[in-house]
Amino acid sequence: MIVQQLANGVFLGAVYALFALGYTLVFGVLDILNLAHGAVFAVAAYLTWTLVAAGMPLPLAALVGILAGGVLGVILDRIAFAPLRKRNAGTLVPLISSIGFAIVVTGLMRGGYGIDERHFAESALPNAPLHLGPVTCTPLELTIFATAIVLMLALSWVMRATPLGRRIRAVAEDRTAAALLGIDLERTIAATFFLASALGGAAGILTALQYNSLTLEMGGRVELKGLAVIILGGMGSIPGAVIGGFALGIVETIAIAAGFSPWRDAIAFGVMFLVLVIRPTGIFGKRALRAA
Amino acid sequence: MRHLTLTSIALCASVALILPATAATTKGPAAGKSVKIGVVADVTGGAGVYGTPQKNAYELASDDIKSGLIDAGGANVTFSVMDAASDGAQVANIVQGFTKDGTALMLGPTLSGEAKKADPIAVAANLPVLGTSTTAPGITTLGSCVYRNALSEEQVIPTTVKRTLAKWHYKKAAIIFGDDNAFTKTDGDVFAAELQASKVEVVATETYHQKDVDFQAQLTRIKDKKPDVLVVGALFPEGTKIIAQAVKLGLNVKMMGGNGLNSSQMYDVAGPGSAGVVVGAAWSIAGKYTGNASFVARYTKKFGTPPDQFAAQAYAAAQVVAALTKSGATTPKEMCDGMKSLPVAQTVLGPINFEPNRDVKSAPVILEVVKGGFTYFK
Repeated sequence: MIVQQLANGVFLGAVYALFALGYTLVFGVLDILNLAHGAVFAVAAYLTWTLVAAGMPLPLAALVGILAGGVLGVILDRIAFAPLRKRNAGTLVPLISSIGFAIVVTGLMRGGYGIDERHFAESALPNAPLHLGPVTCTPLELTIFATAIVLMLALSWVMRATPLGRRIRAVAEDRTAAALLGIDLERTIAATFFLASALGGAAGILTALQYNSLTLEMGGRVELKGLAVIILGGMGSIPGAVIGGFALGIVETIAIAAGFSPWRDAIAFGVMFLVLVIRPTGIFGKRALRAA
Repeated sequence: MRHLTLTSIALCASVALILPATAATTKGPAAGKSVKIGVVADVTGGAGVYGTPQKNAYELASDDIKSGLIDAGGANVTFSVMDAASDGAQVANIVQGFTKDGTALMLGPTLSGEAKKADPIAVAANLPVLGTSTTAPGITTLGSCVYRNALSEEQVIPTTVKRTLAKWHYKKAAIIFGDDNAFTKTDGDVFAAELQASKVEVVATETYHQKDVDFQAQLTRIKDKKPDVLVVGALFPEGTKIIAQAVKLGLNVKMMGGNGLNSSQMYDVAGPGSAGVVVGAAWSIAGKYTGNASFVARYTKKFGTPPDQFAAQAYAAAQVVAALTKSGATTPKEMCDGMKSLPVAQTVLGPINFEPNRDVKSAPVILEVVKGGFTYFK
């Protein structure tokens, strides 16, 4: 049973980690919390669902959903963050601005989709159980896990080995110095939002597929946990978001496996509190994005 | 001749089932009087999935009273539907409004937890209440004029356990229920008590929170205890995921649940693994009561989706209101007295009236999930 429970925790943690990556990327570059990340998560999922319902193959629809998430992220930056950035509005005002953007987007979705929960057609999902030794899972879960890992590795590669990654890290280190070196700040920030929101969108699509459920609140549900993950991992740390995501998923699952299902959130957040008491900057410390 | 007669009877019976009650509107003591019915429902927010069908049902009932399909004795009945947005404070505000604006009877609210806040406000103002979806224990004890036409889980679950035990002969059961919702917690508690009374060993009890989507850790623990049957104390969104994830984990056991699983979309959402799940409920979409088939057809035509139990219970409440106005009740006191002495009312839930404790007197239906909806569990 314990192996199955660990597998359950890893599957759960993969989505937490993917969601938290986008969160931490924006924080690492701009020092602001983007609380519209959950809305992007939901929009990408709903768009994918819409395209699949219209007959588009799921992989193609998911790709469109991820790209649309990225584009929405850029729009979010232009509307909610860029004007405030120009006025040096600090960190609290953009936080409120992102909440406003999320409320508007959710309101538009409510108008378009209504409040009812949506589902993919069961026949569209590969859900026949697979028995891999002591672990029972579905091809869909394995695909979701593999996709999450590939996207995390791809982000690490982009940050370490590409000119874009170097520009993002330079901006995260010191915006003024980066600008003096000729880096186009606004383009780099827009690219950061694109990457972060595409990852958030991917997390939304994978979550919707994993539980075959789309609701308007799906982003809000994971938002608090994503925030906890990046605090646990270290604000702005990419490895921290990954480790923190898996840690939260596994701790939640183990709490239930140990017979404490009513207490699982309290236990998960209690463990997190203890980690932060011992290491207030999180597992990987602040500002780890620069070293990504 | 005999063949012809039987055919004629069958034809007449079929027509009677399909057609709504077509009695022309009578002119009763309340003819021409205006009667305002206040409805508090969660049309938006988390419980919007339940409140929206309720709102729809009142719209349909309003049309039907105007057209004479429902005989309200000539009274001008209006349903003032207020959206509480799944917010307890908003529920209280709306009920306060009903106590001051000439409302004769309050229908709702949508959730039992809301009723515990709202009903005392109505009771203090002598405004009678008829709950249509408040199934938790103790709701009708909130006041001497708090009624409900929703069968409580305590009324449904004993029949569910008795019928499944007689057919499945299980010895060990596992229960999973939501511990932060009055309805699902009642499901868990009542099922546990009923199973123990029936000498079935409860080998695992797991809980979850409302809006959870991942139940695999709890189901893995349950699988380890090797139960014969799994009891799902859940509302529809969580119930479908629990059933789908149990099947995916290879938990191949019989499953059953309460009113919360009574949606004709169960098979489509939870997948083929949900076939055979038994649901104890207050209403069936295929119920053969007078006017039910017509209600289902007209609701589906008007709103593009079939009604669920929440819609049926709301529509039945409107039928009770019509029966009351037909007998001359137009004021809060007359509504209260009328419910106390209500003779059997023909509704889409079947013939109903009220017990002395103000719970509805009606028979539960035990259904089994099949592709496309439900069939009766036999």
